Amino acid sequence: MRIAVLMPAFDEGERLARTLVDLATEARAHAIVVFVVDDGSRTPIDPPVTPGLSVVLARHPVNLGQGAAIETARRLALDPRWGEHDAWVTMDSDGQHRAEDALRLAAAVADGSADVALGDRFAGASNVPASRRLVLWLARLFERATTGLVLSDAHNGLRAFGPRAIGQMRLRQNRMAHATELTQRISQAEGALRVVELPVSVRYSAETLAKGQSASGAVAILVDLFQAFLFADAKEKPR
Amino acid sequence: MMQPELTPAAFLLLAFLAALFAYDVTRRRRSGRLVWLQLVVFLVGGVLIVLPEIARRLAHLVGIGRGVDFVIYPVVIWLVRESLLGRRRRHEEEERLTELVRAIAIERARVHGTTRAP
Repeated sequence: MRIAVLMPAFDEGERLARTLVDLATEARAHAIVVFVVDDGSRTPIDPPVTPGLSVVLARHPVNLGQGAAIETARRLALDPRWGEHDAWVTMDSDGQHRAEDALRLAAAVADGSADVALGDRFAGASNVPASRRLVLWLARLFERATTGLVLSDAHNGLRAFGPRAIGQMRLRQNRMAHATELTQRISQAEGALRVVELPVSVRYSAETLAKGQSASGAVAILVDLFQAFLFADAKEKPR
Repeated sequence: MMQPELTPAAFLLLAFLAALFAYDVTRRRRSGRLVWLQLVVFLVGGVLIVLPEIARRLAHLVGIGRGVDFVIYPVVIWLVRESLLGRRRRHEEEERLTELVRAIAIERARVHGTTRAP
């Protein structure tokens, strides 16, 4: 498989290096290019060289948000100068996601059985904190109501897209509302996309929880979504 | 003949308007036309503060109960509109900034210590 991994990163050092090593270890039989987008980290990200892995590094001169970094990685990965791919995987850089799960999702879209494979952390062996479970449950209800998609895990950052899907996944939400926007893109895509959810394990630690989204972030997401709804551009075209 | 109503609140509001105008003229160095426009708006405001009977009569003329409502209703409408327009401008500017930052990032993207060509 030829896999493009889209990896936003902000102020990551050791955890990013471990994530890359995990990927290189798991993916020996595959051609993987990791598109790391440093989203304006205070100290520019400079991961150690990882044998067996191609890493393309881009840097936002200023911090824009995770959604913007994923979109930059997506556009980079679609640029033919970096080669062709069978699957495009979004993955966190902080070690929460497992490389073996990423490969399983990539395989599901690369073999043509699905266009989009979404990670379901509730079906896998994830240690999801109770407060996070509640917020994610509300997010699932919201997305079911707004997109019609019935998902078990609405906001998992581990996802894979096939060739039919990736070109339609343009993100305009710079911050955390991009997860909801992706669900909207999937539900509104031209030609019904085949979506599967596969069990994945998300490893939460005190470190990643402290850096991650708080429950109050849900309010900011709603504000961003409402603003996008108000100022929607009728001329929007996929890139 | 309307009588001026020089209440303590009127004095405070007039002093506030005068201080704001003086600050804007001396510190913010606005263009001449903007200063004149601000002066006219502040003068109208000052007259309505000192002679609230004007606002009362205008309010009754158009079927509004209180003079203060006659002033506040259009001001609130204008402020809400300005707020929405300002938010939209910020939204568009953020989108432009994002595209600029992204273009720079993509232009400068490089292969990082690869052992396998992409």
